[in-house]
Amino acid sequence: MDGKRHAASFQQLEKLGEGTYATVFKGRNRQTGELVALKEIHLDSEEGTPSTAIREISLMKELKHENIVALHDVIHTENKLMLVFEYMDGDLKKYMDTHGERGALKPHVIKSFMYQLLRGIDFCHKNRVLHRDLKPQNLLINNKGQLKLGDFGLARAFGIPVNTFSNEVVTLWYRAPDVLLGSRTYNTSIDIWSAGCIMAEMFSGRPLFPGTTNEDQIIRIFRIMGTPTERTWPGLSQFPEYKTTWQMYSTQPLSTILPQIDPLGIDLLQRMLQLRPELRISAADALNHQWFADLIGQSGVPVQQQSSMSSQIPGQPQMMPPPYGQVPSQVGYGGY
Amino acid sequence: MAYSSSYGPSDGTFFVESDEPGHQRMTMRDAAKMLARNKQEMIANELSRLACDEYLEDIMQHLRHMEDETLPDANLIDMQREIQWFMRPYLIDFLIEAHSAFSLLPETLFLTVNLLDRYCSKRVVYKQHYQLVGCAALLIAAKYGDKKDRVPQINELNNMCCGLYDAGMFTQMEMHVLNTLDWNIGHPTVDFFTKLAAAEERDSVEVEHMASYICEIALYHRDFVSTKPSVMARASLALARAILGKPEVNDGEWDQNDNVTLLTLSQHLHQPSVTLARKYSSPYYSRVSTKLADFLAQQAAIARRGVPPSPPQEHATSNKASDVYSTPNKGLGAVPGVADGYMTPPITPDGASFAPGNAAMKAYQVPPRCPVTPTPQGHGQAYPQQPPHQQQQQHHLEAQSYFGSGPHGAF
Repeated sequence: MDGKRHAASFQQLEKLGEGTYATVFKGRNRQTGELVALKEIHLDSEEGTPSTAIREISLMKELKHENIVALHDVIHTENKLMLVFEYMDGDLKKYMDTHGERGALKPHVIKSFMYQLLRGIDFCHKNRVLHRDLKPQNLLINNKGQLKLGDFGLARAFGIPVNTFSNEVVTLWYRAPDVLLGSRTYNTSIDIWSAGCIMAEMFSGRPLFPGTTNEDQIIRIFRIMGTPTERTWPGLSQFPEYKTTWQMYSTQPLSTILPQIDPLGIDLLQRMLQLRPELRISAADALNHQWFADLIGQSGVPVQQQSSMSSQIPGQPQMMPPPYGQVPSQVGYGGY
Repeated sequence: MAYSSSYGPSDGTFFVESDEPGHQRMTMRDAAKMLARNKQEMIANELSRLACDEYLEDIMQHLRHMEDETLPDANLIDMQREIQWFMRPYLIDFLIEAHSAFSLLPETLFLTVNLLDRYCSKRVVYKQHYQLVGCAALLIAAKYGDKKDRVPQINELNNMCCGLYDAGMFTQMEMHVLNTLDWNIGHPTVDFFTKLAAAEERDSVEVEHMASYICEIALYHRDFVSTKPSVMARASLALARAILGKPEVNDGEWDQNDNVTLLTLSQHLHQPSVTLARKYSSPYYSRVSTKLADFLAQQAAIARRGVPPSPPQEHATSNKASDVYSTPNKGLGAVPGVADGYMTPPITPDGASFAPGNAAMKAYQVPPRCPVTPTPQGHGQAYPQQPPHQQQQQHHLEAQSYFGSGPHGAF
């Protein structure tokens, strides 16, 4: 940014992901040998710098935290912008595909990842930032077992009282019911719903609510969480997408849908997956939930690193993710 | 650096006096819609309250840090060779009109001026580029906070500048501003603090509108360029409450800085920009500019009836009107050299200095402002500005200006 680094300072390695707005490459700092992720943003001569880039860069410069992927530098060349991120070995989606048993992860790995995810979210919210696109593909993992929030392309700062936002946010499967119902005044609770969906997915290996359309997504949520009524959710009928024709489903206990989760974990999940946003637990409170009581240390360093001697059953396979050798090509920005 | 607070009237404007249709009969559907909106608002408020309880302390701590990080330095702007303070009101007028024409969020205007001033605290700006920097700041601020479809198109901005610049200069300047500011755009704007305090003190919408009018008046003046938004919010709200005859609130200790800001603000309420006064004369903004003008006229009348004018410091604190600006418990008297309850000097609300023929005025011409027709779109709740048809009522201005002279070199 001060001219201290140039695009030529980095050796471009393989492509990690691609989208309409950016392409992400693995890169290497020629001087230090350090691995980085290079997010290249094409600059349109008509439009100038994309708003996503302005928000992403300015917000990430404010968010320095060990559970948020670090933005090292912004390099501007004639027709593109290159964001230099710390290198992460892969994302949670790929981690689940390669290390999970049919996608499902081990409970203590999940606990560590959830703790780190919530710490990252908590830090965003404390700095008045909503991520608005939490999903496994945007959670980056390195081979130290660290999890970091990535891709702040949809993130934005919020005010108090809340501002009015676009409701075209968050990938459908992880989108909160109030947003699906057309709310434009959502708040921090929007990220918590996504976190709940991710927790369930890590346990089962499958997305909890894999909807195909907005309407289908709502119905899939109601089928498990129960169809809300004006009585259970005052104000419900005022949402733009409210339908009187919804089929009435009764609430399924999460413990029968996800029998692999222990009772404390179910309790936390239940608090994150509240239909009513005002009842959803905050990230700060979630971090203090009993389920995390057996995590050693509150530093966000995964439990398996600090307590691998004590908590690991001998003979069990290492839960530490091995370094990613080959990264399969995928749609998206590789989580950055 | 020369500074004059007087500047010319603006003919081309997007603001017209209220011409809203009278009260229309509400249909059942409208009523239902309004009910739904109110309900949604209640839910939103409940959500805010929760986020507030949980995160307010942390957020405030972060924003106070960001406030310090993103404060422009008026002393550095003083050192600019070409751009002078007297040029500022023209540019602010232009930005306020553009901001309204594109129906951008209220905070976008404050962010725009912050970016402009921070850039001018860091880089030498030629006068022919002053307006371009303003446009780039507006572009960045809109991209940061507004919905995508509200962000001005470069050709629209270019038209507003009467084609003064090459289209490519806007994107070039945008990148230059971003790099100069090291991409630190997250400036907490004054309206964040105003909204928060107004919600806490349960101020009326009218008080909020008056406070935001006062804050926008402040944008025109050098005195407030380096004033923290949180201080500005507190001072403008206190002033707004006083002007509207609302009771004072107890919002904690006031330090000298707060008091000086309040005092200086009260001295700058006269002769507001015509463009700005017109914007705030609409019913949407509770017609606060008219209310402020009436208030000032009343104050002036009281002052004329009273003792003959004397230097402000010696103004009797016993004067009835002094109650307005004095905020007991906030220790205005603590400001050295300033009497408790500074009295408004008698003024003519419409400002004699606006009259043509003012010597200082003759030498400078207004920046070009060409009519623009932003892509029409629906006006949601968050975007309360005037409907686009009103924009056509503006007149052409003399295109030649001090912004436009000279070659458009690279920067």
